[in-house]
Amino acid sequence: MAPQYIANHNLPLLLERLRRYAELHGPVRGEDGVVRFAAIAPGTLPDLSALRTLLPPKKYLLHPQETILNYTAAAGYQLQAEDVRSLILFGLHPCDLAGINYLDRVFLGDAPDPLYAARRATLTLIGISCTPDEFCSCHILPSPLNALSDLFLCSVDEGLIVTSGSPRGDELLDGVKDLLEEWEGAVPEDSRRFFGHAEAEQVRPEPDATLPEWQEFASHCLGCGACSLCCPTCYCFDVLEFCGLDSCSAERVRQWDNCLFKSHAEVAGGTNFRKERAERFLYRYRHKYRGFGPLQGVPSCVGCGRCRVVCPAGLDLRPLAERLEGRPL
Amino acid sequence: MNRDLPIPAVISAIRPLTVDTSLVTLNTEPHHPVASSFLPGQFLELSLPGAGEFPVSYCGFPSVDGSIELCIRHIGHVTGPLRTAVPGDAAAVRGPFGHGFPLLAYVGQDLLLIAGGLGIAPLRSLLLALLAQRELWGRLTLLYGARETGALLFTDELLELQNRGMVELQLTVDHLEHCFDGPPYCRVALLPVLLDQLDLEPDRTCAAICGPPVVYPLLVSRLRQLGLSDDRIHLSLERRMKCGVGRCGHCAVGTRLCCVDGPVFSLAELAGIEGALG
Ligand SMILES: Cc1cc2nc3c(=O)[nH]c(=O)nc-3n(C[C@H](O)[C@H](O)[C@H](O)COP(=O)(O)OP(=O)(O)OC[C@H]3O[C@@H](n4cnc5c(N)ncnc54)[C@H](O)[C@@H]3O)c2cc1C
Ligand code: SF4
Ligand code: SF4
Ligand code: FES
Repeated sequence: MAPQYIANHNLPLLLERLRRYAELHGPVRGEDGVVRFAAIAPGTLPDLSALRTLLPPKKYLLHPQETILNYTAAAGYQLQAEDVRSLILFGLHPCDLAGINYLDRVFLGDAPDPLYAARRATLTLIGISCTPDEFCSCHILPSPLNALSDLFLCSVDEGLIVTSGSPRGDELLDGVKDLLEEWEGAVPEDSRRFFGHAEAEQVRPEPDATLPEWQEFASHCLGCGACSLCCPTCYCFDVLEFCGLDSCSAERVRQWDNCLFKSHAEVAGGTNFRKERAERFLYRYRHKYRGFGPLQGVPSCVGCGRCRVVCPAGLDLRPLAERLEGRPL
Repeated sequence: MNRDLPIPAVISAIRPLTVDTSLVTLNTEPHHPVASSFLPGQFLELSLPGAGEFPVSYCGFPSVDGSIELCIRHIGHVTGPLRTAVPGDAAAVRGPFGHGFPLLAYVGQDLLLIAGGLGIAPLRSLLLALLAQRELWGRLTLLYGARETGALLFTDELLELQNRGMVELQLTVDHLEHCFDGPPYCRVALLPVLLDQLDLEPDRTCAAICGPPVVYPLLVSRLRQLGLSDDRIHLSLERRMKCGVGRCGHCAVGTRLCCVDGPVFSLAELAGIEGALG
């Protein structure tokens, strides 16, 4: 079957149709000029030319702060119940799709995280191809190339080639088939990427902690945590408990945490397992380029470039990573 | 078992052991795995409603009646309020989590247990498990050190075992308080010094260690000098833990997660990881 194609002038119609299935969110430029994932207002188009949103779509799956348990004396602890609404995320770049795929591996493993699983089940992902800039490293990493979505849109002249990646995608395609045409032209060799190559995941020796670069990074880093905040695969959270005013109920809350903060490795009694900023930098490095626990050997960095764009100190881990990982990044 | 949902437990006893440490007994559902099926060295997450949750090692023996023994130091914003809890107070538990000491690999071996400070909690659990099947193992030696005699825990119980010839016990304290004699067999020396006069057969000895991170490097180098290979040395590591199930990102040691891959690691597993021992 020839590839399916939707002409650019039919895009507004496509969005209106999708809206019948679920609430529609995508990259939207606010009045402040910042591009965020937000509801696409009826009659408006998402900003498909923007290369990256300020925050990645992880905010839909892990809220910056959220209640995970409620306690009452009568019922004990109960899992937080949430009305999850169906949501279509439209216009996700391959790096952000890969970010969600990575979070899925952490939060949907053998014992799925209840809140994450509930939200993820109602999320439809519609990806779109893009052209990397100098901050990106997606085109060299394997994960964006292999990222899964329900539908994927690949830009070609005057429109988008549409492919389905799931039964949900098939269903959506079927519902909009009158808007689709057969694409007669050439199909880009890889529908996600205009260039780049994939490499197999592998376990590498421990990074050398004595390299002067760790100190060098540490001496410039301000410890602001912006790089983790905007990273699609930084999912660290802290957990707090708040006692109700009646003192027989309580709420347990988790909130985004940050491995560059000093408190991240502090335990009761005052011992800190990563006192020095250089140690915290190495920690971040390991997670981004090596992966933790069951995902050892699976780098979590998906190459979106956000950390490099937001860093007030202009720090870029790529040159060091290229040396330690033995490949271009 | 839902690993995210703490199940109700009741505090059935709190026995102060020292000024800042108590032996807490909890009761939860009979036959629940959180009480009945754990390996020494594994941990559970204990919730005190309204205060929060923290990871704590099993200190006792698995039970089918739902009882759990924990040895807890009251030093933080959750463990602190626990000091004033009374029998009947509500708590909640989830677990067991992590990997404990490799009992299967210990069969037929001489065992050298080394505890520093509160590290006695998981090692008491290990000792109880070993004694329950005494015939499976060779020599059992416990080296146990604390800052001062007042901080040594379970001494009555341990001396009793020593007197009955169940375990070779050596106690030590960093320094003696003015008005105390130490308990019998107690020396004044740093924990690693106890290894100096130990005669052991390195090819049939396994060491199980839990203590404050400061003692680890010295203990490890002495054990290596004695001829123990790195895969015969197991250590329990502490890290900040906020979930216990591999999601909160706080507890990585190198690229391993302390809560899932540990907290008990063999020294061989930690090779080359800067800062692993603390
Ligand atoms: C595998 C494992 C086994 C353990 N076994 C035992 C054991 O058998 N017995 C035992 O006593 N301990 C054990 N511990 C240590 C025990 O978990 C800690 O002592 C406990 O977490 C302290 O909890 P807390 O909430 O009372 O302390 P916290 O007050 O939480 O102190 C922890 C850190 O959190 C910070 N903090 C302080 N207040 C707050 C706040 N309001 N919100 C957020 N952070 C705050 C502090 O800076 C402090 O450094 C074990 C730990 C691990 C990882
Ligand atoms: S480390 Fe930087 S480039 Fe990599 S995924 Fe995170 S924010 Fe994007
Ligand atoms: S954004 Fe830059 S300055 Fe801020 S914590 Fe990250 S590396 Fe440090
Ligand atoms: S305690 Fe949360 S990842 Fe280990």
